[in-house]
Amino acid sequence: MNALILSAVLGVIMMFSGVMLKQKSAVRNIAITGLFLLLVVNILEMSGMSFFRINTAGMMHFDRFSLLFNCIVFFSTFVYLLLSARDIEKTGNYYAEYFTLIFFILCGVILVSSFQSLLILFLGIEIISIPLYILTGSDKKNLKSNEASLKYFLLGAFSTGLMLMGIALIYGSVGSFSTAQINMTEKPGALMIAGMILLLFSMSFKVSAAPFHFWTPDVYDGAPTVFTSFMATIVKVAAFIAFIRLFGEAFGNLQPQWQIWIALITAATLFIGNITAVFQQSVKRMLAYSSIAQAGFMLLSLYAMNADAKEGLLLYSAAYSLATIGIFAVLIKMNDYTFDGFNGLAKYQPLLAATTTIFLLSLAGIPLTAGFISKFYMLKAAVATGRHLWLVIFAVLMAAVSVYYYFRVIQAMYFKEGQPGIITTSPVFKYTLVVLAALIIILGIFPNLLLNWYYF
Amino acid sequence: MIYLLQGNLSVSDSGSYLPVAIQVLFVVGLIALLIFLTHILGPKRKTADKLQSFASGIESHGDARQPMAIKYFLTAILFVLFDVEVIFFYPYAVIFKELGWNGFLAVLMFVGFFLCGFIYILKKGALKWED
Amino acid sequence: MPINYYIFLSIALFCIGIVGVLTRRNAIIIFMCIELMMNAVNLLLVAFSKMHHATNGATNASAGIDGQIFVFFIMVVAAAEVSVGLAIIVMMYRNIHSVDVNFLNRLKH
Repeated sequence: MNALILSAVLGVIMMFSGVMLKQKSAVRNIAITGLFLLLVVNILEMSGMSFFRINTAGMMHFDRFSLLFNCIVFFSTFVYLLLSARDIEKTGNYYAEYFTLIFFILCGVILVSSFQSLLILFLGIEIISIPLYILTGSDKKNLKSNEASLKYFLLGAFSTGLMLMGIALIYGSVGSFSTAQINMTEKPGALMIAGMILLLFSMSFKVSAAPFHFWTPDVYDGAPTVFTSFMATIVKVAAFIAFIRLFGEAFGNLQPQWQIWIALITAATLFIGNITAVFQQSVKRMLAYSSIAQAGFMLLSLYAMNADAKEGLLLYSAAYSLATIGIFAVLIKMNDYTFDGFNGLAKYQPLLAATTTIFLLSLAGIPLTAGFISKFYMLKAAVATGRHLWLVIFAVLMAAVSVYYYFRVIQAMYFKEGQPGIITTSPVFKYTLVVLAALIIILGIFPNLLLNWYYF
Repeated sequence: MIYLLQGNLSVSDSGSYLPVAIQVLFVVGLIALLIFLTHILGPKRKTADKLQSFASGIESHGDARQPMAIKYFLTAILFVLFDVEVIFFYPYAVIFKELGWNGFLAVLMFVGFFLCGFIYILKKGALKWED
Repeated sequence: MPINYYIFLSIALFCIGIVGVLTRRNAIIIFMCIELMMNAVNLLLVAFSKMHHATNGATNASAGIDGQIFVFFIMVVAAAEVSVGLAIIVMMYRNIHSVDVNFLNRLKH
């Protein structure tokens, strides 16, 4: 509750700071400090210090899982701002408003990570989506950005419509929006099943799972790269938390009905994401497909839905967000987004090349990185269900495919000659990247550093 | 306590819809009759000048679907936003006595947040009609 | 009236909305179809709310009230979405002088 209220207030503060303050650096510093405060306040709540006592009428519940997830999100956003806050300002004239929208999105993330009622789920998803439509179109003169924004908006609103219909049908059969009540239905009727399927569709749309992924590459490619970074990481893992909470808490008893559907969606997502990523020429677009592929892995946790899966999802969201934020931060500094643009980067910018390599290795799931251990948790969870072992084998095969396109970037950086056009970087940027890379390796060796927080 | 849903109308017999049906028929019939009569009774002298759209004697030129000023759009959008938010006062109006001071404070907070948005708009100059 | 009528009506409205979204090419009309979908949901929610009140109202006077509250939230969120969506469409129109979604193919390589 602390973080929810603080993030809403911070959003308003940022809004006015844009009107009151003239220096860009002041606005940026307020945003970074605010985010740090948010992280501190959330950690305080985890250790039992809640500043507010508000009766939410059973609509929200802040448990360890959601609080820890919020910590991961705030930390990732903090790192994201440290790395890319200057680039956010360059997108357009409304530099303070971008930070405002980011804080409002964080508000939505807190809602979807702790909802107990479908009303809060709906509000959270919308509070995340509406600012994102704006951020996607923030490069107003760029036709690609306009187009991405319109596409995202139309498809996003459409999927919201589907979600609302699903909620309405479930309300019709249960008579309540509370997830606990929905889970108590013994014999699900036609209304209930139809509602669940609609919710499944709209949530797979939000996490860009396979039959509903078609908007992802276009939107991620068209949006300004700084905001693509935010969308592909923090927003995506937040949608996953909503997904796993919804299907774990509201439809947990219906697992036999939906498990096979999730298995099929997972397989399709892994296949399409990985295979299409192989053929991309632009690193930005490759990362968009890679985010679909990683979503396939995260779907495994939904499929398994056991204790391992929840731990795994937390770990995966941390590993995936941090690594992808790092790669995007480097990508923003490049002039040329194609694979050839990275040629010879190791010669001119050895530090950037080395850290990028670590991020890419983590995404590919090479041992000793956080990416490996989180993939391992996912597979372990899927094996523990004891059914559909083909899915696990398929996932491993697809992870092997993913190595190809991640290594293409590494190959370009280290083994090809070229003159990479790169914008100069500040020392803070470099130190943050090094810390981030170190963090990924530490998480890969001692995943319990993160997971212990989950239990006490 | 009064709840939103207790205004339970017991309209079960179809006879009570009869006045409504009669009125609908009357309205539709009257409009149809008027349109029909003006076409029959009115004099018709069609010339090329007459069929032109009337622009107070000035030669008409161009398409009527000109893009309008963006200021109008902005004001309209802001109106929609602020107009719809008032919806939350309806449930409050029904039960404001039962909610007491706590409810009042909650609504005050809601209005406060709202006011922040309004001040922001004013500061940004979105409502300035002339620039 | 039995609840089935309401369900059929709102499903019909919803399907009209879906078909409109999938077949029309004008961004504003697509947008109107999406609003139609949301309004179908509103109708259904109110009908269900009334139904739950009729069945459980004797034991619990506030049964079914949350459905109508949900409708308020949908309306407000829809208004927020309208403002952002129209702004995006206007931005698009100023750049390419069209609101036809067939123009949205620059991103396909």
